[in-house]
Amino acid sequence: MALGGTIRGKKTTLRLPAEADLETFNRWMADMRARRAHRVWHEPAMPATWKERFKEIAKEKMDVLWSIDVDGRLVGFATGSFWSVTELGFTLRQFLIDPDEWRKGHGFDAALALHRYLFDYLNLPRVGVEVRADNVAALRIAERLGYVEYARGHEVYYRDGAYVDEIQLFMGKDAWNERWGATEREYASPLAADATR
Amino acid sequence: MFGPRLDGDGGISLVPPTLEHFKLHIQWIVQPEVGRFWGPRFGELTEERQEERFKKTGEDDTQIMWTIAYQDEPVGWTGIFDIDWVRRDGESGIIIGRHDLFGRGIASEAVRLRTGFAWREMRLHRVHNWIALANRGSRRANEKSGYKQMGVYRKSFFRSGEWYDEWLGEAYPHTFPDPD
Repeated sequence: MALGGTIRGKKTTLRLPAEADLETFNRWMADMRARRAHRVWHEPAMPATWKERFKEIAKEKMDVLWSIDVDGRLVGFATGSFWSVTELGFTLRQFLIDPDEWRKGHGFDAALALHRYLFDYLNLPRVGVEVRADNVAALRIAERLGYVEYARGHEVYYRDGAYVDEIQLFMGKDAWNERWGATEREYASPLAADATR
Repeated sequence: MFGPRLDGDGGISLVPPTLEHFKLHIQWIVQPEVGRFWGPRFGELTEERQEERFKKTGEDDTQIMWTIAYQDEPVGWTGIFDIDWVRRDGESGIIIGRHDLFGRGIASEAVRLRTGFAWREMRLHRVHNWIALANRGSRRANEKSGYKQMGVYRKSFFRSGEWYDEWLGEAYPHTFPDPD
């Protein structure tokens, strides 16, 4: 997994992850609220194991990890995978906001910024994500962004003594442009002729 | 990991892969008839890389792989990949590398053997897959072993002037038709 650079939202910033973030990642992976909402990225482990994981992550070519900050404070992380050199696209694998920071709008703000980067900067034709069917907050964010459901896996996750389905969602660049293209640009205006020398 | 030998009907078996089988993969997947619904027909397709893949696959306990044998000749491969042992879910795949043998029911029997093993021996809860909607042979082979449609991904890939949709399927022990 490569390490992702700065993507600025209105309130949140996706930024280059650092080793100092790992202790917090470990805490989130041990938090049952986070585990209930999301697939686990890595199981909780000792610091040395997380450092090894971090080294491995940085070497990967098609996967990317970002940390998410609000006012310089770590509040989440995101990971995803680019598809291939011949099939352009991106699958959002993990998008976790600290359970103590839920219901403050951080998730939507960071997700909008990330998708702006994917569509407006990288010019990808499509993006996909898989969401647990009872993760209402994630589904609401996906719907606001412009995702549509294309498949539903039945009884995919088991927890709290019962199975829950998985919804697979997709968004194409046309949908992005229609909903966000006029207002969400990675750079505010076209580059002026004398902007660089 | 590699799966054990499973003997089926019509001279079709699933057998543990060997390095020689892995080396055959290269000549199979570069054929236009075989790669049409698969990959781009380029890559690090060297025998050295296949040796690495062989070793890595054998060591990896998140996947199980077999060579498909027809009358004791290797003709393809199949397996279940990205197995999540907590959710007991994995993604299945299959390639018949010998396109001169298409249409003989080899894939159907291989999928039946693989799927039965997933329920009876691996105790998986679910197996899912992606198949090009236009690849009727592969889709039908999976449906006969209990795979049901869970969705369709429109315009998944582009080949020879047209977009292809992909069929998403899933199977469970209770959808497997063979009670043996």
